[in-house]
Amino acid sequence: MMGHELAEINLGQQSVHKETSKEVISIENLNVFRNGTQILKDVDLRINSGDYVGIVGPNGGGKTTLLMALLGNLARKSGTIKLFGTDIQKFTDWHRIAYVSQDAINFDNSFPVTVRELVSLGRLGRGRPGRRFKKEDWDKVEEVLEFMGLTGMARKRVGQLSGGQKQRVFIAKALVRSPELLLLDEPVAGVDAQNQEQFHKLLSVLNSQKGTTILLVSHDLAVVFCRMSKVVCVNRDVHSSELTPDLDPESFLRQGYGEHFHFVFHKHDCEADFSKQEVTINGGLK
Amino acid sequence: MSHELTIWDLPRLLGYQFFQFALIGGVIVALSCALVGLFLILRKEAMLGDGVAHTSFGGIAIGLYLGIYPLLTALIVSVVAVLAISYMKRKGVAHSDSSIAVFLALGFSTGLIVISLAGGFNIELFSYLFGDILTIDAFDLMTVSVLGMVVLGFIGIFHKELLSVTFDAESSRLMGIPVRGLETGFSLLVALTIVLSIKVVGIILVVALLVIPGLSALQLGRSFRSTAMFSIVFGTTSVLMGLLLNAIYNVAAAGVIIFTSTGLFLFVALYKRLE
Ligand SMILES: Nc1ncnc2c1ncn2[C@@H]1O[C@H](COP(=O)(O)OP(=O)(O)OP(=O)(O)O)[C@@H](O)[C@H]1O
Ligand SMILES: [Mg+2]
Repeated sequence: MMGHELAEINLGQQSVHKETSKEVISIENLNVFRNGTQILKDVDLRINSGDYVGIVGPNGGGKTTLLMALLGNLARKSGTIKLFGTDIQKFTDWHRIAYVSQDAINFDNSFPVTVRELVSLGRLGRGRPGRRFKKEDWDKVEEVLEFMGLTGMARKRVGQLSGGQKQRVFIAKALVRSPELLLLDEPVAGVDAQNQEQFHKLLSVLNSQKGTTILLVSHDLAVVFCRMSKVVCVNRDVHSSELTPDLDPESFLRQGYGEHFHFVFHKHDCEADFSKQEVTINGGLK
Repeated sequence: MSHELTIWDLPRLLGYQFFQFALIGGVIVALSCALVGLFLILRKEAMLGDGVAHTSFGGIAIGLYLGIYPLLTALIVSVVAVLAISYMKRKGVAHSDSSIAVFLALGFSTGLIVISLAGGFNIELFSYLFGDILTIDAFDLMTVSVLGMVVLGFIGIFHKELLSVTFDAESSRLMGIPVRGLETGFSLLVALTIVLSIKVVGIILVVALLVIPGLSALQLGRSFRSTAMFSIVFGTTSVLMGLLLNAIYNVAAAGVIIFTSTGLFLFVALYKRLE
């Protein structure tokens, strides 16, 4: 009798565990109000482990707000959000998630902190506050600096770098957390075409080789439709779709951008843009 | 203390207990001010230091009037003031600069009222207003050491977290760093640092010792680590200079400390321009 019960319980836990490891984000019936206006309405969204998700939508549509909800940073909301299968109210594993904000690079340029110092701060928030960094922390910092092509400027003051270089520093700061879920809010604004290209290659590598689940807010619709596995369009309402070949981008986007939206896009545009896709993890983005 | 002492009497001075107390106390003050001050500058909260220092004047006066150890009453008043200021800021009652102005005035008027009740200024009050490094006794030194250990220990343990919160509080919170606890802890450090500095530089000038070494360091340091080191070097040099000139030539230590740190600041600024 006992043995039988035990087996059943184990089986139950196993299947629960399997489900939680697959579904990284699940949002049900989320509503967000700010100063009396509704910002997000009846959001239902599911993101699976390994998804590479583009979040698009017009300015003020609520993209940043959606990310804030996922980070547990909204006081007034209704609905349920689960992260890695755990209700966000009870979620404590914040070290599994990394986030780069829309205005991360807008800081006081005279702030005395080097690239290596700032990137290492990404290791905080795991373990007890005040713990000393161990060799494993510094090894991770060096590995990510190398991966992001920042080793050569590790001793420079962050404020002295260009916009694109700063961007890479903040991505690095996120990556030293070894996140399973990476949330990026428009991180390529103000970055030149070549650096954007490198940035997107890097994300593809992270997603495909390390299995990191990525949510990227982007206004570059071509990149979203070429490279990602899923698209979420946010304009108070939230629509999402897998990026399958039979999805018509224009009609999908009209749900969020309105009836008069035009988006001329052909799948073969992708080949031209991203012909040199192969990147190795340690190839370094110089 | 005779006036015919010269720098060559330094080895002999080192043998005196009052000088040893002054030296140890001075170094603890310099280290605490250099580090807390650097964070204050980076957090753009230098006014908090000034406000709390002036508020603590009320505490000193109460202590002298009631015959309680004045640094204890100053500590209580300062801690209440920083907690109230951060509470008002958090609850949106007032911006922190306006609440600082309120507490500064409140603390200072308390001091004035108490002094008038007591029938005027006395010489002891002067030593708290402007410091008197050579009168640090064993009990003062113990107070300074205990407070100093709390300040330096907290920064030693949490400097990375403090740096992260100072750089970007919002993103630190999203990373799971206990931002509110750290900010409250840091406010308390400011109160402690001011109280432990009173005997050395006095209430009026403590903000200068908090801010000037950090400002000089910011011109030279590239990393946070090196900036903190420079701040410590400048702060300690200034305090030692004040102690020496005070002991040998009987010049007010607080005045020399501020002159030295300002001199170092100008020198560094000039050096940076010429470079
Ligand atoms: N702190 C706030 N208080 C009140 N309303 C806010 C606040 N932040 C954002 N909003 C409102 O919420 C709506 C959604 O803003 P949000 O920043 O999420 O848009 P977004 O899609 O990220 O826009 P963008 O593309 O410009 O970054 C906007 O109408 C904005 O005015
Ligand atoms: Mg936004």
